[in-house]
Amino acid sequence: MNGKQPYWEDVEVGQDLEGFSVDITQRRAYLQVSGSQDWYPVHFDQGFARKAGHADTFMNTGFLQAALVRVITDWMGDDGFLKRLRFEMRRQQRPGDTMVCKGRVTAKREEAGECLVDLDVWLENEREGVTTPGTATVVLPKRGAAGDAA
Amino acid sequence: MAYDIEAVRQKYIGFETAKARGRYPVEYDAIRRHCHMVDDNNPLFIDPEYAKGTSHRAVLAPPSGWLALYFASLGPWPAVFEPLFPIVPTPGKRIVNMSQEVEWTARIRVGDHLSVTRRVADVFQKGITIDSEAVWIVAEAVITNQRDEQVCMIRNTLLTHRTPEEVAAAPGTGQP
Repeated sequence: MNGKQPYWEDVEVGQDLEGFSVDITQRRAYLQVSGSQDWYPVHFDQGFARKAGHADTFMNTGFLQAALVRVITDWMGDDGFLKRLRFEMRRQQRPGDTMVCKGRVTAKREEAGECLVDLDVWLENEREGVTTPGTATVVLPKRGAAGDAA
Repeated sequence: MAYDIEAVRQKYIGFETAKARGRYPVEYDAIRRHCHMVDDNNPLFIDPEYAKGTSHRAVLAPPSGWLALYFASLGPWPAVFEPLFPIVPTPGKRIVNMSQEVEWTARIRVGDHLSVTRRVADVFQKGITIDSEAVWIVAEAVITNQRDEQVCMIRNTLLTHRTPEEVAAAPGTGQP
């Protein structure tokens, strides 16, 4: 199992998710293309990016989303279920940056028989601060309840 | 001929593509490559033996709308990614994805076979620093599995714009 399974009863509002960081290197940019199969050159061709008015290449939606999803799935355990994720790509993660990926519990509630936890999740770097703010809602199991397997 | 945003809105908002089925079922290695972009070593996503012992009984795809769309829509080669949403005419062909929202209703397992239906939810014109005629497209995608169950709904807000060179070459337009 990926760490300890959190239960809804044990979650506290204000609790930080563990998070992680990755260096955005040229190698990481190629991993991005391999993992997302996004061949739009603005994400790996500096000349193409600059011609469009960008300062440099920047990481794509699939990569940023994978990072936000990892923050959540590392925390929610095998029996958690990501119900909703919304994020905005306001600033860029570029080669040379260290992308820091974080999350925090903002609320918990029961709704329509589901035990829900609301999260803020975000990506940041030293150059820009928060680049990619997001919100998410996760369904967590209750102690003693049968595991949800949607 | 001048770009007519009202005519584009009238013609394309609500336009829906036919349901398209991904060429291949959801497969292990594409998930592994996706996870390794961000050093995600969660065994539920990359270890079949481990996953067999969980309540899910199979490797899951991480709940990424991007990955769902990948399995539901990719197939042709060379990959068709430029422009991302070629149906709506726009003055510029450069694209930046500004936001995404995904609502999940089911998990995706290795072996599932996904399909997608796309819909144009909104089109509007709002200038940006480098292009006063930038056009924004709100595109929705509904992903279903082989049992025709909805897996997720994805909503992207895409910014399309011209390059600074294209703006400079277009007389009477340009900086706001």
